[in-house]
Amino acid sequence: MRISAGAAALTGIHLPKTARAEAAGSLATLIDLSLCDGCADRTMPVCIQACRSINADKIPPVAEHIPEPWPRKTIEDWSKKQDVTNRLTPYNYLYVHRAEVTVDGRSQTLFVPRRCMHCDNPACATICPFSANHKNQNGAVVINPNQCFGGAKCRDVCPWEIPQRQSGVGIYLHVLPDFMGNGVMYKCDLCNDRLKEGKKPGCIEACPRGAMLIGPKKEIEAQAQARSSKINGHIYGQKENGGTATLYVSPVSFELLNQTMIRKPGQPDMKPGVERRMAGTDPLGKAVLASPVLGLALAGVAGWFSRRRDRKTRQEEDHD
Amino acid sequence: MTEKILSEKNRVVRHSRLELIEHWAIAISGLILLATGIFELPVAKRYYIITVPGLGWTADFITSLYLHYAAALVFTAAGIFHLVYHGGARGETGLLPQKGDMKASVTVIKSLFGFGQEPPMHKYLPEQRWAYVGMALIIAMLIVSGLIKTYKNLYAPDLSLAIVLTATWIHNICFVLFFLAFLAHMAAILLRPNWPMVRGIFTGNVRLDYARHRHALWIADLEKNEKSVDP
Repeated sequence: MRISAGAAALTGIHLPKTARAEAAGSLATLIDLSLCDGCADRTMPVCIQACRSINADKIPPVAEHIPEPWPRKTIEDWSKKQDVTNRLTPYNYLYVHRAEVTVDGRSQTLFVPRRCMHCDNPACATICPFSANHKNQNGAVVINPNQCFGGAKCRDVCPWEIPQRQSGVGIYLHVLPDFMGNGVMYKCDLCNDRLKEGKKPGCIEACPRGAMLIGPKKEIEAQAQARSSKINGHIYGQKENGGTATLYVSPVSFELLNQTMIRKPGQPDMKPGVERRMAGTDPLGKAVLASPVLGLALAGVAGWFSRRRDRKTRQEEDHD
Repeated sequence: MTEKILSEKNRVVRHSRLELIEHWAIAISGLILLATGIFELPVAKRYYIITVPGLGWTADFITSLYLHYAAALVFTAAGIFHLVYHGGARGETGLLPQKGDMKASVTVIKSLFGFGQEPPMHKYLPEQRWAYVGMALIIAMLIVSGLIKTYKNLYAPDLSLAIVLTATWIHNICFVLFFLAFLAHMAAILLRPNWPMVRGIFTGNVRLDYARHRHALWIADLEKNEKSVDP
């Protein structure tokens, strides 16, 4: 944007060209669909089991009588359906989609683990009105359950509607539960506490097939590229929603995989090239950052005219 | 000098065209910021605002963000212009609180409710000067915190959480204060003694007889200046 370039030149401030998701220490994950078999020999995929076990105590006991929000009376209570594992819920941050596809006349079954993509510039975090959701420098997008009011704005702006609400818990109960807030939003946090301890996320550590990897973003991107080239495959997550910290590598195109996904609450689709809607506001945002310079410039011009007018008036008075 | 007595029209020029543009730029963009700021909260669906004809867009946070940014561009530029042009280039201090303003404000407010007499006043009322400083501080905090939030949205979603939380809460608290200040501003207009000033912010001038009665010190200053430049 010309105006922001001008501002930068005038102020000597050099604004980065892209969001800072490439910072050192930024991690990414890789999910190799050519390796995932959905743990077909088990009752529940091991990744889901590990995730549920790590996050088992995350949600505190739900209020006995969940306040009825006013005026729209939506209550989302999963506390009595905690066993659901075939979709995202406040108690289940990862599920595995089974995709039956036909490629070149040959039927294939693929298993697609689905969870938060940990986007490079996540709208769910940047426009959270209370900054309860935040992108960490290690790449993890984490909701603080002690600050979240459960308004579900993050779910509305997420192209995959990942965060899930549990009503009857959280800070809103202590403020104005009838009029403001409606619980807490929950989703995968990339096991951020484990990352801080130098451990891997539970799902990645537990995967018996080694279908998931975590590492420095650049290395994971290179790895995804290499694996994709090797199998003449496809990558998802590199450009979607402006880029994410989760890269899927698949032997089957994501157009085809997406056709097997019927978008439902808690069951996102996988539309290739899904756009980052906030990107449209970026030029205007850059103009906002340049607006102090615009104000200064206008004041300079107006000040010059004002001084000239005063000088003329004085000269006229002296002549008189 | 913009301020001028127009005796034959019973008017006195109170605000220049430039000041009117500044005021309305800040007022209109400020109101758009207030409204779109509210719509950045998840209220439009919950409170059925989307069912009001013409307000279907209010549940779309990205649409509200476009409008919020557009208004912020005008608000910030106008705010900085005001500060630098009047405070810096022209060195105008008439709107800044003066010694004794606190005591005088109490006297004026009491008189508005029928208790006692107003003291003779300058162009701006003492409580108006305090209100101006309050509003200016709120606007400054909104602008600085808003710029940090915008930078974060564009370039640094992983900005330090401490900075993000500080900017967010300053923005949220000042949003509430700005709304209250706006209500107080409107309430001041409802008071009968202030009615003659309202035309000033639309046309730039007020009635001379009103100004002589209520802003005696200002008119005295203007008349003194006019006499001094007369040949």
